[in-house]
Amino acid sequence: MSAVVFLQMLKWSVRTLNFLWYFETGFQAKLRFSGRRAINATAFFLLFAICTTWLHAGEASPAATNTPSALFNSTTEATNSASSFAAEGPAAYKKMSLQELMNLDVTSVARAPEPFSQAPASIVVITQDEIRRSGASSIPEALRLADNLDVAQRNSHDWSISARGFNTALGNKLLVMIDGRTVYSPLFSGVFWNAQDYLLEDIDRIEVISGPGGTLWGANAVNGVINIITKNTMDTQGLYLEGGGGIPGTGEVAGTRSVLRGFAGVRYGGVLASNVYFRVYGKYFDRGNEEYPDGSPANDSWSMGQGGFRIDAMPSSLDDFTLQGDIYGSDLSMPSGGLANQSGGNLLGRWSHTISGNADMSLQLYYDQTHLSDPETETVLGNTYTQILTDDLRTYDLDFQYRVKLGGRHQVIWGTGFRHTHDVVGESEIVQFLPPVLDRNLYSAFVQDQIQLLEHVFLTLGTKVEHNDYTGFEVEPSGRLQWNVTTNQMIWGAVSRAVRMPSRVDTDIRENSPNPPFTILAGSPNFESEAMIAYELGYRAQLTEKLSTSISTYYNDYTDIRSTSFTPATVVPLYFANNLEGHTYGLELSVDYQVLEGWRLHGGYNLIKEHIHIKPGEVDINNALNETADPQQQFFLRSSFDLPRNIELDGALRWVDRLTINNGGTPATVPSYFELDSRLAWHPTRWLELAIIGQNLLHARHVEYGVPGGTPNQEEILRAVYGKVSIRW
Amino acid sequence: MVNEPAGHTEVERCMSGVSRKRGASSLLGLFILTFILLTSRFVHAQTKEYQVKAAFLFNFAQFVQWPTNAFPNAEAPFTIGILGDNPFGRALEETVRNESVQGHRIVVSHSQQLQDVEHCQMVFISKSERGHVGEILSRFAGRNILTVSELPGFANRGGVINFYPEGTKVRFEINAAAAQRERLKISSELLSLGKIVEPELSKGGP
Repeated sequence: MSAVVFLQMLKWSVRTLNFLWYFETGFQAKLRFSGRRAINATAFFLLFAICTTWLHAGEASPAATNTPSALFNSTTEATNSASSFAAEGPAAYKKMSLQELMNLDVTSVARAPEPFSQAPASIVVITQDEIRRSGASSIPEALRLADNLDVAQRNSHDWSISARGFNTALGNKLLVMIDGRTVYSPLFSGVFWNAQDYLLEDIDRIEVISGPGGTLWGANAVNGVINIITKNTMDTQGLYLEGGGGIPGTGEVAGTRSVLRGFAGVRYGGVLASNVYFRVYGKYFDRGNEEYPDGSPANDSWSMGQGGFRIDAMPSSLDDFTLQGDIYGSDLSMPSGGLANQSGGNLLGRWSHTISGNADMSLQLYYDQTHLSDPETETVLGNTYTQILTDDLRTYDLDFQYRVKLGGRHQVIWGTGFRHTHDVVGESEIVQFLPPVLDRNLYSAFVQDQIQLLEHVFLTLGTKVEHNDYTGFEVEPSGRLQWNVTTNQMIWGAVSRAVRMPSRVDTDIRENSPNPPFTILAGSPNFESEAMIAYELGYRAQLTEKLSTSISTYYNDYTDIRSTSFTPATVVPLYFANNLEGHTYGLELSVDYQVLEGWRLHGGYNLIKEHIHIKPGEVDINNALNETADPQQQFFLRSSFDLPRNIELDGALRWVDRLTINNGGTPATVPSYFELDSRLAWHPTRWLELAIIGQNLLHARHVEYGVPGGTPNQEEILRAVYGKVSIRW
Repeated sequence: MVNEPAGHTEVERCMSGVSRKRGASSLLGLFILTFILLTSRFVHAQTKEYQVKAAFLFNFAQFVQWPTNAFPNAEAPFTIGILGDNPFGRALEETVRNESVQGHRIVVSHSQQLQDVEHCQMVFISKSERGHVGEILSRFAGRNILTVSELPGFANRGGVINFYPEGTKVRFEINAAAAQRERLKISSELLSLGKIVEPELSKGGP
């Protein structure tokens, strides 16, 4: 069955779910019930039939039948771990095998894996349990769980996400990876968040590191690194189904429903051979419009389908192989008019090998392809032009890493990497990238040594050396000192250098006026890497068994930040230069408190002060306002209850300070806001989960980003309530 | 909604008599009310974590073979001792009720005193004994006791089995050398599920 057909099936089933919502509530039931709906309903059941067939195929495959049934049973057990409510109590547990016991969730709260609570950096680990309980329906929504990020939703399908400032629509100082695959676009060094998706159920954790990660991760890891890590297929055995949609009457525009109109997802995991596990998944969602401040719909609806697979093989205790791939396609209505399309796919293979108790290595290779077709609208001298901008990017990436313990005191990691990108930007008169076809190579090597200076004091020294086709060699060294004051307390400090290398926007872009023909804005071939030196100091402690805290402070010194200059005689074309500099400082604080066994509280606070200015004697037509759009303070409070009768109740309150955003060289303001997300879920049986999720409950609509009537335009994000049914078999 | 006059506060909007809106605000009210109600009446029961850990202890007893001289006589019970605070409540008793190991009936004994659990075949050392691990382990040495705890570094310091959390799940590490010293035979199945730890190389040898 082709993937396209499969996604179409999902699409139908989503529509059918919508229909069922209406039918159940008797809401406009007459109107909606038509022959087409009946066909959709048939398709929905067909989908179930296909899933069942898959299930059978998995069971009937010779490899699976050769597997000892005990193993098969114990692995299917694992999928239910997130909500194993049925058999509880000492009498039930004593009948379980050790493997089954090991698959039970014993805490409502996932603690960060040990290595990370030890890492001398500002790290937040978002666990699968936290994602599920947040009610997030997309990766950007899940990232709101990280106190060290600023997540601003611009419209139905666009977000600005950054750590430690510089959170503009073209934000470019964050490195984002999914299972080791870099997903920021070399077009503008930022992330198309609406092209990054996964079945959230199968994400193991998201590690969010604020601060420079250049030494290990390389270019673009200036202000932070986001690592999205999906589960091993051993942990996703069995069938998972989810579906749901907006609850009628919660949308704000008469006749519409919640912004998330409907969604469905399916995953099946099985055993291919002894020690070889796989999963396949597909998902689809359909989101409606947000609104403009005057209440009119913003024409930014969005639908997207994605499917993929992953295979993990462990032929020996020393080797792990992973092969995985995804494909996706989406339609995005553009607030400025027209319809954008995005599609893409990737294939990744990884081999990890343990050489001895003291050394291991891993080798990773991937291919990634993205397609973007985006209508661009531009008004010049009273004339409005619309043209389609297309971008086709192919990325080939090879990474090698080696880790070895030397003597008693040294742990050395070194690695090398090579990336080739082939980017083709389509012909368009008003927005051009010159040359249209561009091949780029990136070579890198890094080495890092963690030295045990004293029993409880560790020094980590390392550097990355990178060669790119824009600026040649870049060096990104760092030094970190970690002192384990007691077994439960750690103080750390670091000094690091990181760079943001030029993107195609910086060097290749042309924004043209067709009539009269002239260039308004031009990229600059001489554009330099933006550089930063960061000074960090942090403290992390498990104060009591129930109370833990983390505080990170930083001072970042930036040079050569992007500015927009002009030629005095002719004014146009404007061009990019590196005429901004300055510093930022701030702190990130988080506290976790387990009030009772089934009640957890989390508090977070984030402060940033930014002082970015134009270099003496230089110019920036945006008055140093264009690279920042950051709330000075953010405050988070979350509560997680496990209630009797298998009910979970979660709430997340956030306060985001007002932010200043560039409006053609003058400051515009987005007001501060309070918002509340909440989720109430019930597990009537072990395999079923019913949830009702409310997002942005405090206001009918609120603004998070943008300039009123400007670019990006200010849009109001609507209150949304949706229902979700999950089945884990 | 589209032509709504400007200047209305959020509350006014919510109360503006449109039933759809009232639905949304009362839903919010319901959320808040539920929060308050459930917080006040929330009473937690026995912890699931320790019910599961009790089942682990029971399982360990099945997968480890004690030397015959670990029991004073054939009728003697198999005793699981809990040293320090008892985190299990009644869970451990409930788990091992009417069960036996190598033909010995299982009983549970709980004490704050070291000498009270010295005769046990398995001792769970509670977190409350954090500061006394070295002392406890040296007192137990040579008594064929399967020591189990949940303190970081317990197995490295010479304890036999140590629980540790991994995400929301329970994992355990085994110091096979320590088990061998106590002449405890750990089945390969148990060894394959646990993480094997090397004894810590402290100054002056292991």
